[in-house]
Amino acid sequence: MVICIIALVVFSIAGLWSVRYRQLAREAFDCTFRTLTFQPCRTNLQDRIKMNVTSKLIGRFPSLARAFYKYFKIFSWIFVIIFFGSMFYTAYTVYNLIVYGTCDPSSSSATCTIKQAASFLGCGLETLFIYITIAVLSILLVYLVYKYVKLK
Amino acid sequence: MDAKKIREDFPVLQQKIKGKQLIYFDSACMSLRPKQVIAAMNEYYEQYPACAGRSIHSLSQRVDEEYRKAREVVAKFIGAKPEEIVFTRNTTEGINLVAYSLGLKEGDAVVTSDIEHNSNLLPWQALFKKGVEHRIVFSGNMQFDENNFRKAMGSSVKLVSFVHTSNLSGYTFPAEKIAKIAHDNGSLVMFDCAQSVPHKQIDVHKLGADFIAFSGHKMLGPSGMGVLYGKKDLLEELNPFLLGGDTVANSTYETHELLKPPEKFEAGLQNYAGAIGLAAAVKYLEKVGMNDIEKHEEKLNEIITDGIAGINGLKIIGPQPAKLRGGIISFVVDGLNPHDIAMALDSTAGIAIRSGAHCVHSWFNANNMPRGSARASLYLYNTEEEAKIFIGKLREICNTLR
Repeated sequence: MVICIIALVVFSIAGLWSVRYRQLAREAFDCTFRTLTFQPCRTNLQDRIKMNVTSKLIGRFPSLARAFYKYFKIFSWIFVIIFFGSMFYTAYTVYNLIVYGTCDPSSSSATCTIKQAASFLGCGLETLFIYITIAVLSILLVYLVYKYVKLK
Repeated sequence: MDAKKIREDFPVLQQKIKGKQLIYFDSACMSLRPKQVIAAMNEYYEQYPACAGRSIHSLSQRVDEEYRKAREVVAKFIGAKPEEIVFTRNTTEGINLVAYSLGLKEGDAVVTSDIEHNSNLLPWQALFKKGVEHRIVFSGNMQFDENNFRKAMGSSVKLVSFVHTSNLSGYTFPAEKIAKIAHDNGSLVMFDCAQSVPHKQIDVHKLGADFIAFSGHKMLGPSGMGVLYGKKDLLEELNPFLLGGDTVANSTYETHELLKPPEKFEAGLQNYAGAIGLAAAVKYLEKVGMNDIEKHEEKLNEIITDGIAGINGLKIIGPQPAKLRGGIISFVVDGLNPHDIAMALDSTAGIAIRSGAHCVHSWFNANNMPRGSARASLYLYNTEEEAKIFIGKLREICNTLR
């Protein structure tokens, strides 16, 4: 099932911090590998994902729950296409920023969110990337300290 | 019987799962344990955690005493003698013990029903390699078919091994009738009582069984603890399939002298805490009353059966009258995966049921139902309110997703 591909990426990242997600990432990997080699999935990971979402919708949006449950495969494909589409455009944008200094070199008037963020903070692109890296590392550090204290 | 008062003895029922009050409808798989059972086991581990039958110090003497008492309590519970009770790990081990100790040989046959748990199917399939024939009695509309059973019998049949109460449908086979026909044919009879001993009054003499096997974890007792009942003279004839410490009176480099049953079947250090916990569970069940428990489950089953009858596409597996299905409601809903139903009940209302093949894959495969079924199974701690919540939630899920 294609939804396992997204699950593999998401759970692999989450698995850096949590054992629980590592197990899910393993299941997602197995499912992705089997999907790509045209074999049926052995795990019920996709069913759990499907029912987790469906269950949350049942009480509040019954029609949406029914649609999501019945057309889960279509929803999965949509999610996968959006996921890879956004990944591709993000990579393309970052490439343009690094090489040309703008998100879209073909249009000088195009808005570039990263550039806007940099000007909003009153800094250059390089400084913005440094800020982002520091922020990610700080979050990671806080998380590790929290886990350490909890273990203690 | 006051189920609400009984619930106070079960710590797990006091907690919330994912923010919802737990409704536990999976007792056919694993029952919950009351405080009394946990306390009895803790008492062993805290106050006398020693070996029985090996050392002569005070702690060991106490373990000996409690272990002996546990055997007596279990024996009395099913109308047997203490020496006819062999402690095992579970029902599966009990059945395997008989399968490998009975000395079945090429040309012999074993008869089972068509709705057996893997525990009462695989041992006979394994013996097929030794030339032991396995005959299956197909049931008409999931109830005992006497004609088919008589047709399956013959002089080569050495053992009839039937499930007593099916874990799939909840149907209880007429043990007395089966035992009589089998004995008239000259064969022995064993019942898999994993789902009957916990839920109704069982007397091995009334059943007419030569062997019965059941598990502690389905009757408020600890997991890893089971019982095999065997008639004394038969147990004396059987050869144990596990040998080692505690099974022998003496040994030399070449020979050994086995103890009498049941000790000769209980090789190695035993699960003393398990036996003591099982005895506590039996006492608890006896205090509540087995007949009251049976009636309580039947009443809840009737409420649920009536309540879910109107759900579009829902089919109950087994006899349709609730009275014939004890505390088990196994069902499928057209267009819905049983696992999805179970997950939705768990996520939306904290209701724990089981889904899948319930270890009866053979029946589902024969009936072209590879996804199995959803199964709600009840016990003494379940209430009418829980039954009504289950009906409401199941209806909502089925109506929404179909």
